[in-house]
Amino acid sequence: MGMLDGRVAIVTGAGRGIGAETAKLFASEGARVVVNDLGGAVDGSGAAAAPADEVVAAIRDAGGEAVANYSSVADYDAAEGIVKDALENFGDLDIVVNTAGILRDRMVFNMTEAEWDAVLDVHLKGHFNLTKYASIHWRSERKGHYRLINFSSVSGIFGAPGQPNYAAAKMGIVGFTYSCANALGRYGATANAISPGASTRMTDTVPEERRRAGSDIGDSSEEDPQRSPANVAVPLVYIASEQSDWLNGQIVGASGYELQLFNKPAVIRQVRGTERWTTEGAAQQIEELFKPAVGGGGFYG
Amino acid sequence: MGMLDNRVAIVTGAGRGIGSEVAKLFAANGASVVVNDLGGAVDGTGGEAGPADETVATIRDAGGNAVANYTSVADYDGAEGIIQQALDEYGRLDILVNVAGNLRDRMVFNMTEEEWDAVVAVHMKGTFNTTKYASIYWRANREGHYRLINFTSGSGLHGAPGQPNYAAAKLGIVGFTYSCANALGRYGVTSNAIGPGASTRMTDTVPTDRRSRGFDEDSETTVDPRRSPANVAVPIVYIASEASDWLNGQVIQAMGYDIGLYNQYEIIRNLSSNEGWSVERAAEEIERVFKPAIEGSRLFG
Repeated sequence: MGMLDGRVAIVTGAGRGIGAETAKLFASEGARVVVNDLGGAVDGSGAAAAPADEVVAAIRDAGGEAVANYSSVADYDAAEGIVKDALENFGDLDIVVNTAGILRDRMVFNMTEAEWDAVLDVHLKGHFNLTKYASIHWRSERKGHYRLINFSSVSGIFGAPGQPNYAAAKMGIVGFTYSCANALGRYGATANAISPGASTRMTDTVPEERRRAGSDIGDSSEEDPQRSPANVAVPLVYIASEQSDWLNGQIVGASGYELQLFNKPAVIRQVRGTERWTTEGAAQQIEELFKPAVGGGGFYG
Repeated sequence: MGMLDNRVAIVTGAGRGIGSEVAKLFAANGASVVVNDLGGAVDGTGGEAGPADETVATIRDAGGNAVANYTSVADYDGAEGIIQQALDEYGRLDILVNVAGNLRDRMVFNMTEEEWDAVVAVHMKGTFNTTKYASIYWRANREGHYRLINFTSGSGLHGAPGQPNYAAAKLGIVGFTYSCANALGRYGVTSNAIGPGASTRMTDTVPTDRRSRGFDEDSETTVDPRRSPANVAVPIVYIASEASDWLNGQVIQAMGYDIGLYNQYEIIRNLSSNEGWSVERAAEEIERVFKPAIEGSRLFG
């Protein structure tokens, strides 16, 4: 008796890292899984069937059900095919987990157009592409307990200085998640974003001295179980289950052995006027009221 | 004696609405302004010199300094030309205000690829394009009180259900702003985002029954001065001035006569363990600790 018995999931980027662990754990909890992976390099170049095939083989060897899909999530038309793969192979679609992603790190003043476009295409447009076609199905069926699980990152939430493209895409995904949470609730879908922390080939690209103390330390080849992407998959099972209807429009952190809930944007200081402020009046109010409230904080400072 | 004497600013989308008010108020406070506007329709189609020229004429009639630029910010190479024009005309660049934007509203299950791409290209890539070339100049000339002022929206911060593309782009801009705040501080640059509220031709596209209370009149017919985009420009003068070095990586609300400061993201609940969580135990703890924390949390609408 698994927590996901009878449910059908698509996991993108499931050939390696967090995606692979999510697909395998979902299958062991009873879900039938479409294992999507382009099989490309960390920078998004190239393609290979092996990563997705290996995860499918591991799931089947353990007695689970899975099929492989090799499409790029950045391809709008192919995303429709990923959803079709779920419907044709397993007759339904309950859960979409958008894990697929790439990196092209560079300071903003050195970043090329191609580096910006590639990261935005896979992360942000990839999330939209699959969500669009999944939401068409959810809206027409309205069976309920549908789950959209997107992937954000502390890079966006706190603003990694060397990842302007990735930070933008990962916070864009939060805005998209909030919009979907508000739009799709009436059709029985919840939408949440995960902020993961683990050592994978994606964090291996970050220079060691830049990694967050206690979080991104170590290469993916090292065997510190706290850094395993398998940890990230664990809370996703609950979020993907039928029990989590109450959780919608949130950012959940899954980093090592920590499970976290983030706050939401809110106005914390406000000056109200009865007429248009003068520039001097506004300047004085902002300094008096906002200056003591900022300062400190920040994660990358 | 203006708050922006001897400073040089680029304001994108400055032919109409908030951008035009920002350009005019900056000039009135002593700044020399590059007034950029493609002169397109709200959906981003078309282009004409008229709107930028009109703003420039108004500034010059009032005794201020301004030149027009008609480039689309979505054009990577064109963005370099906008920065070059500021340097050629006025010899420096202190302030970049990224206001230019378009809208293609649609529910996610009905949104076309073209509608997604058009909005992400103008808002997100447009903000990156101009920032990249401005930051090259700022990094090479480090003596300044440089200001990057980007535009986000309540649509992204809270997730407007009918604007998945705009919500994604606008919160993506916050992630980009955070990244720039952390990356460019050492070069004398602050980066902040504005969450505006006003009646403009962009809000005119929202059905009247969906608008925020008090923002339900069309921009052409409203006589309510609280709804004027001129209000939004007022606090931006201070943020653009040399006095605001302390303000970096923040989201500022400028809505009617109200000026607000948004919170930063932070972890508000944290479950720690010294070993890997079981699926069952993670489920129990998430329900026990996270559920009470989000009850009553506000979704859009």
